Amino acid sequence: MSTSIVPLQKSNLGLKIIQWGTILAILAYVPIILTDRAIFGIRLSNMQLLNLGLTQINLMLIAMLGALSLNFLTGSAGLISIGHAAFYAVGAMTGAVVGTQLGAPFVLVLLAAAITGALVGVLAGLPSLRVRGLYFVLSTMAVHYIVVFVFSEYQYKFFDVVGVPFNEAQIAGFAFSTPIRWYFFLIATVMAVYFGFKHILNTREGRAMMAMRDQELAATSAGIDVRILRLKAFALSSAVASVAGVLYAYYLTNVTAEFFNIQFAIQFIAMIIIGGMGSLGGSLIGAAIWLLLPSIITGFASQAGVTTGIVQRMLVDNKPQLVQLIFGLLVIILLIFAPGGISGLIKQVRLRWAALWGRS
Amino acid sequence: MLGQVLFSGLALGSIYGLVALGFVVIFKATEVFNFAQGMLVVCGAFFAYTGIMLLGLPFPMTIVFIVLAAAILGAFIHAFLIQPLAGRSMLSIIMVTIALSIVIRAVLEITYGPQGKTLQTPLPTGIFLVGDLRISQLHLTAALVSWSCMAMFGAFFKFTSVGLLMRATADSHEAAVVSGININVMNRLAWAIGSVLAAVGGLFLGQLQLASTELESIGLLALPAVVIGGMQSIPGAIIGGLLVGLIEQLSATYISPKSSDIFIYVLLMLILMVRPWGLFGQQELGRV
Repeated sequence: MSTSIVPLQKSNLGLKIIQWGTILAILAYVPIILTDRAIFGIRLSNMQLLNLGLTQINLMLIAMLGALSLNFLTGSAGLISIGHAAFYAVGAMTGAVVGTQLGAPFVLVLLAAAITGALVGVLAGLPSLRVRGLYFVLSTMAVHYIVVFVFSEYQYKFFDVVGVPFNEAQIAGFAFSTPIRWYFFLIATVMAVYFGFKHILNTREGRAMMAMRDQELAATSAGIDVRILRLKAFALSSAVASVAGVLYAYYLTNVTAEFFNIQFAIQFIAMIIIGGMGSLGGSLIGAAIWLLLPSIITGFASQAGVTTGIVQRMLVDNKPQLVQLIFGLLVIILLIFAPGGISGLIKQVRLRWAALWGRS
Repeated sequence: MLGQVLFSGLALGSIYGLVALGFVVIFKATEVFNFAQGMLVVCGAFFAYTGIMLLGLPFPMTIVFIVLAAAILGAFIHAFLIQPLAGRSMLSIIMVTIALSIVIRAVLEITYGPQGKTLQTPLPTGIFLVGDLRISQLHLTAALVSWSCMAMFGAFFKFTSVGLLMRATADSHEAAVVSGININVMNRLAWAIGSVLAAVGGLFLGQLQLASTELESIGLLALPAVVIGGMQSIPGAIIGGLLVGLIEQLSATYISPKSSDIFIYVLLMLILMVRPWGLFGQQELGRV
């Protein structure tokens, strides 16, 4: 990672390097803890690891790509989309055509997914030239249904009900055969996307995009062509979502059209609301909560196996509903009391802290 | 065959129109695009299930029970979720209704179990023949009740003083406040009416199929219906509902059952591109 991308404060360069070194070291050590179920040779119980496995972490990393791209589109460019699952589906479908049917190498599949994602993104963004606000949200919903229909027609034509199979992903002879290999590939991808978006938001176009989100009229009068900018934002966001989709498909090795339903799209909106709208770091937090909480609850549920009565019924029999209930309530509470999401809360706490200690 | 399809399309379309009408009442009053409308339909079906199958109420009492429960639910949603978010960004408000539908779904599935329940009401379920046409009495009742509900609420908005106040509030919140109207009460009333209309739709849909949370997707067909008809227009919502019902039945019969959604959403897309304000709405959006 080149230092020019990481925003550095002049005063404490050394501290930053140490910080980043620690973060990278922890990120590199996490999969080893989760595979060996031990830290520095000390065995950990399942609950001490919060019932987490590397598979959940990997799925979380893929979801982070989706959340980042949606937050870029919605939080930074101000375009609300409930069709984000459609771009996942586009990626998965491209993967099926290029990877499974034509047998192209994985790198080409990723590239093809990014390109088709961007193209479909531009198409899906076209209504933004004509309608705004609510009407645009609905057009993304229509795009969602159309794409999913095409995917399911494609699936039933060339494959069957079981779903579309995907080969094992490999880059230059290096096969992603274990979760730990996937982990390192995915973490690098998430970092690249995160810093890529962060960099873009600091360029002229990124700032123009945020201006467009805040005050469209003012942005136009400052010489920004909002139409082109919208399509660009859409293309970039859907390219990333499409790559996330193909990674998701390859990771699961088999997907069906039913995966990409409207709930799938809604979960990304929920993630960025939980994490914080317009905050890239927030997208990561939101995706982490959304993907890891169910498995943590499962862990507690198996712990609570001894209890009986209503608690046990809630935890064991109705686990998926309980998870949904918690997520739904979490989103509602955050929306009403903390519109900035968790990253907004962190920022507030930091400001309070700074005010308390009299430094900025 | 065609007559048969047209009949069931129009009958189902009437239910969609009813749900869409509830949606428009809420949208006009509070400018909330209610993604939970589908879930309110499901609530209606489960209220009916509770009333008839669990509490064993006689049918007229069940109707009263459904209407009251739905009205209270609507008023609660407005008081605790919508009013605190007044003036927030559109995404927050859309998302709160989506989150609400997630919560309601979870609560219903925890309370009643995830399987669908059969709903039996004393409504006539037989079939009679008109020429070649097999008319299902349930479909016919659903259509008739939907139309009378629409007529009733149409008259309510047009002729009663509360209806007038509600229309005034929907027209301009500021002017309504200045004239001494308690707009929160009016908006709560609009939410109550909107959920009652959805619940009545749910009563019929629950009996035509099963009372289950899967009805949500059918209830959500009210959204394209509303946009096709015109978001601000009450007749538009009804005609949009009928159109959606017809398209659904026609494409399911003549093309393929899976294709019905796609035609509805393609039409939605076309309307958005050509006439974004809908078939019957008034043009009022800003252009880019």
